[in-house]
Amino acid sequence: MIRLEDVRKAFHQGSPNEVWAVRGVTLTIEPGSVTVFRGPSGSGKTSLVSLVGCLARPTSGRVRLGDRLVSALPEKFLAELRRRTFGFVFQQFHLVRGLSVLENVMLPAYPEAPPYAELRARAEGLLGRLGISDRAGARSEWLSGGEAQRAAIARALVNDPQVLIADEPTANLDTERSRDFLEIVAGLKAEGRTVILTSHDPLVCEAPLVDRVVPLRDGRVEGAA
Amino acid sequence: MLLHPPVLALLVVSSLVTAGLALGVPFALRVVRHWDLASGSERQVRLERGTSLVSAVLGLVLAAQALSLGLFVFAAESLSSQITGAMCATGTLNATPFGFPALGLKVALFFGAAVWLALDRLDRDGDDYPLVRGKYALLVGLAPLAAAEALLQFLHFAGLSPEVITSCCGSLFSVEGAGVAAEVAGLPPGPAMAAFYLSGALVLALAARTWWTAGRGGAVLGAGAALGAAAVTAFAAALAGVVSFLSVYVYESPHHHCPFCLLKGGYDYLGYPLYSALFAGTACALAAAVSGPFARVRSLALAAPRRAARCAGWASVLLGAFYLLSTWAVLRSHLGLFP
Repeated sequence: MIRLEDVRKAFHQGSPNEVWAVRGVTLTIEPGSVTVFRGPSGSGKTSLVSLVGCLARPTSGRVRLGDRLVSALPEKFLAELRRRTFGFVFQQFHLVRGLSVLENVMLPAYPEAPPYAELRARAEGLLGRLGISDRAGARSEWLSGGEAQRAAIARALVNDPQVLIADEPTANLDTERSRDFLEIVAGLKAEGRTVILTSHDPLVCEAPLVDRVVPLRDGRVEGAA
Repeated sequence: MLLHPPVLALLVVSSLVTAGLALGVPFALRVVRHWDLASGSERQVRLERGTSLVSAVLGLVLAAQALSLGLFVFAAESLSSQITGAMCATGTLNATPFGFPALGLKVALFFGAAVWLALDRLDRDGDDYPLVRGKYALLVGLAPLAAAEALLQFLHFAGLSPEVITSCCGSLFSVEGAGVAAEVAGLPPGPAMAAFYLSGALVLALAARTWWTAGRGGAVLGAGAALGAAAVTAFAAALAGVVSFLSVYVYESPHHHCPFCLLKGGYDYLGYPLYSALFAGTACALAAAVSGPFARVRSLALAAPRRAARCAGWASVLLGAFYLLSTWAVLRSHLGLFP
């Protein structure tokens, strides 16, 4: 269970261009569920998933993972927790140019230093599961949008995370590729993983597999007091 | 004599230490007064964010402070040739009223810094800042000492002049003289040697026990206090022993008790490895002593015994080297103090 308690996040605090991206969000995300943060551009969706995924620290408030207070963890513990608990699929995918798809997928596991053969087999297995085995040797910049997204999902799953976070996953995909993505999410949900998405795409927000849609506006949960 | 290179280096270090602590103390006071991990307030989150950076800066500052002790003694020794009446560092330190007090504060800060660094390292092993309040409270206590030491050190070096006539070590560490130095010099060598080796054997045994027990994850709660007390006792007995009998054996002169002439080339610079081993070994023993008991803290249950074992291991090696070197100096001497 992930719990956010009155979480606020400011950028450029104390400067004239101070922005409060998240303004007092309290919510609970149940394990094994699919949650979508829905809202227009600037509503704080990306900031909120960054806080949930421990990519950023709140300006105030707490983020808990189970009983563990994760937002207060010293950086070395946070890095370890982030690596083992969360997988990220970024809106622009952020695959490393010049590396092959297989190398991109293997990359996040290197700090854990598993045996190379085991890691390679794990990465190839993920690419096979996501249907892009034939692109394993291709450089990441040669991939189409749908292939790049699958490669990014495989990379996010290489450390076997309990939680997958995807920021605007269908923003750059056509309807067919978006449906493919939702099928992948359904598979992850069936495995018991928690999936957190940000989106304003009705195809995602209204998908039957989504357990909860959290509407956001101006950094707040709409309808919350 | 402020333009002497080691003196300049010392003044730069003390300026950095004072500036670092001046910046760190307000933060330390905020931590001591307001730290509350249960709160998600903006102030608490700011303290959590700041503590890593402040700890890193203060760690460097205090490490520099600890190392400056050696440089201070070296500077005192190297300046002795320029001061009328000085034969060694004793004369330099005695040339102004601030020399020995500055040295005393430096020694106190050396061990204070060692304890703080041990606590800081251990605190960073826990995922819930287990020692954050204690280590910053200790820092608040060390800061005035560091400021006083910086001031005394500056006054001492500023007051040094070739025209100042000082007394040599022969008068200060003289059996016939007055004061603490003379009293220590006048200690009978037999009991001094017994205290030296018995306290040494005790601290080595306790350090080895802590290394063995803690290294296997065992409880070291009681052993921590015992090791700390033994380390302080052995340190005092070691210094007294150096003045009372060891220096006499090294100089092969029954009336020469100066602990600083050991730093001279004529005695193979024996003082440098000897004191380095003693001070570093005692600092490691104290670090082990303060680390071990925190095994009872949930987030340090694994780290505290591991740190205690590592520090105790180093204490055993360094203090063992000190006692071996001392014994070797006694055995190679042509002087016989005992019939």
